[in-house]
Amino acid sequence: MELTQRDPSSKPLRPDEPELDLYTIPSQSSWFLWDEIHDIERTELRDFFDGSSFTRTPKVYREYRDFIINKYREEPTRQLTFTDVRKSLVGDISLLHKVFKFLEKWGLINFSANLGNSSNVSSSNSSSLVVVEDEEDKARVKVEGTIPNAVRVGASPNSPKPISAPPVVGDSSGDAVESGFKLPPLASYSDVFGDLVKQKGLVCGNCGGNCDSGHYKYTKGEFIICINCFKNQNYGENRSMDEFKQIEHVENSSNQGAMWTEAEILLLLESVMKHGDDWELVAQNFQNKSKLDCIAKLIELPFGELMLGSSHRYGNFGGLNGNKNGANQIQLLSSELHESLKTEGQSHEQINEKEQNGDAVDEGPPSKKQRITSLSDAGGSLMKQVALISTTVGPEITVAAAEAAVTALCDENSLPRETFDIDEDYISNGICSPTSSFEQERVLQDEDSKLKERSTQSETQDISLKRDDIPLTVRIRASIGTALGAAAARSKLLADQEDREIENLVAIIIETQMKKLHQKIKHFDDLELIMEKEYTEIEDLKDSLLAERIEVLQRAVNAGICRWRDHFAVKS
Amino acid sequence: MKAPALSFSKAPVKFRMPTSANLVPIRLDIEIDGQRFKDAFTWNPSDPDSEVVVFAKRTVKDLKLPPAFITQIASSIQTQLAEFRSYEGQDMYSGEKIVPIKLDLRVNHTLIKDQFLWDMNNFESDPEEFARTFCKDLGIEDPEVGPAIAFAIREQLYEIATQSVASARESRISKKGRRGTEHATSSKSSGSALDLVKLFGYRSSVVRKRKDWDVYEPIVDHLSNEEVDALEAREDRNIR
Repeated sequence: MELTQRDPSSKPLRPDEPELDLYTIPSQSSWFLWDEIHDIERTELRDFFDGSSFTRTPKVYREYRDFIINKYREEPTRQLTFTDVRKSLVGDISLLHKVFKFLEKWGLINFSANLGNSSNVSSSNSSSLVVVEDEEDKARVKVEGTIPNAVRVGASPNSPKPISAPPVVGDSSGDAVESGFKLPPLASYSDVFGDLVKQKGLVCGNCGGNCDSGHYKYTKGEFIICINCFKNQNYGENRSMDEFKQIEHVENSSNQGAMWTEAEILLLLESVMKHGDDWELVAQNFQNKSKLDCIAKLIELPFGELMLGSSHRYGNFGGLNGNKNGANQIQLLSSELHESLKTEGQSHEQINEKEQNGDAVDEGPPSKKQRITSLSDAGGSLMKQVALISTTVGPEITVAAAEAAVTALCDENSLPRETFDIDEDYISNGICSPTSSFEQERVLQDEDSKLKERSTQSETQDISLKRDDIPLTVRIRASIGTALGAAAARSKLLADQEDREIENLVAIIIETQMKKLHQKIKHFDDLELIMEKEYTEIEDLKDSLLAERIEVLQRAVNAGICRWRDHFAVKS
Repeated sequence: MKAPALSFSKAPVKFRMPTSANLVPIRLDIEIDGQRFKDAFTWNPSDPDSEVVVFAKRTVKDLKLPPAFITQIASSIQTQLAEFRSYEGQDMYSGEKIVPIKLDLRVNHTLIKDQFLWDMNNFESDPEEFARTFCKDLGIEDPEVGPAIAFAIREQLYEIATQSVASARESRISKKGRRGTEHATSSKSSGSALDLVKLFGYRSSVVRKRKDWDVYEPIVDHLSNEEVDALEAREDRNIR
């Protein structure tokens, strides 16, 4: 499930390098390398590698492959056909077809083009999060959708679309989320950014600066100038002041999220501490930020870090996205009750869906991958986010987190704890009853459980009606608290596990090192022994040689012969 | 006798269709009493011959032709099968052989011109699959086009195969006579094949030059009724 980043031209990878293009290939094809031929290619296209003919060599294969892929990437959204490529390649038509089919099968070509079609089909499903459980395949694609979802390949010479720096996406994807969360699951990066860049395009036509705080629109065409330019009467050619219309800075324009400075964040936190829930007062401390911006930012802050920390592996993209979902939802919730009621309705529906799912899928918690999947591609509501986070931990933890959150809220706002009591009863019931784990988890959100009760248990009708009185903000905060608590517990667990793992590994390493040292010492001992033996032997040899020499000399003296030569002469 | 080991020391390929399925292209053009029956299809040479008559009867019945056609169709198929079988077991060619295949055919209202290379040593090739891809890629909806393309390819491959058998036989005879000329004959026998060393050599790229793209690009035309009529009239005239 990992997508790898590659840079074939072996230049250092810089995120904002404009001439690099991002392309998407399916994760199972991440083996692909421009500079190499992988074993998969060798086995599937054996013709080129068995040396049977000089018309089928690895070199020829690479030329075919590189040409076809490059051809496709000239226009990644278009389906490349075999007939398009074959006219440009010399070689056996059947073999070319084989290569083409191979590349297509592995998604190295025609991948985004295919997805463009299929994502339309599945987008109707993807607005709810049902997709995740019942279709393993689709779920996988979804995950990839939220990962920094392209493999960075090919600075191909004809690359048409420059990309913008990935980090921006998290902030600006809010807009995409609002329009029904239609991030194409696996479309290439360049596509995604293409849209976003357009949305962000509030750039002054005169000075090129950013028009965040507001701008003036030219009424007779597509032209924008910033406030400064307007004041300085730089209207551009042939335009007069009357033709400009001031556009106040757009409330939901998501660029705002990016505009928070450190100091502002601090100020925001301080004023929230001071004023609590009174967002009007909080917002008064900021000149260019609305109430909604403040709320959105606040929600984004700790939440975002938590999410980033735990889901770093899956990419910031998904995490931030999730935040933004939550943030937008909050905006809606707090600004208009109607809206919020509608969302509740949605989450109610969602429960039902979930229930069906729970029945369809096995009891017990879904596998880890599936949970994570759902985490990142939840549709709209905050409730869904909470639900998703709570699925990542066990139900008991979520219960504890919910209780803690409720208690904290009660202490803080001196609300009667009874307002929540029914829920808690229900929670404990839920745990005792051996129903599917989905229900238990879902139940943990107050409204959700309320709605659930309403739909399933008609006799608690009046109680649940009474509970409509709980202030909306409290409910939201309760659920946020639940989510945070659950996530914290989860991360604690993970951290503990990691710690244990690390300890274990370190122990193993030390043990291995010790073994190695022991071996070495033993080896040296042996060597020493051998050396000693040899030394004694040599000593002995020396002694015996000396003795022999002495003996020979002795004999020579005894025989009275002074020179060997004389002796020889005599003998002969 | 020492056979000089040339660069391609592979044993010559025994005759067969150079495709994955060893199918004989059969073309029928029978005229009885002013009634004309034209058809083209492939036949598996390992099928029992009794099938031929069954097929002939069936075709005549399906197309409501006069019964006189049965024997004509059956004998025509038999002759063509016998011809194919007469080549079986003979040497075809040795070494690399990649040939250009040129398509120029009209099926109903569709006119197709195309050119590509075919490796005679690739026994996994599949003209039918190629034709399917062709029609899909070019958005040809007429269901008769695909089989016609595949058949045209098979016909050309068959012709090249039979020619190679003939030239292989010829070169064997001349080898016996004069040993010195074998190089000349072998180069002559691969006359229709391309200069592969030039195409696939170390220096050249297998990516074609841009100016050649048009040559190897398929051209598909959709004809109007009048054009079809005119063409058919001209074809008839040419036959007579």
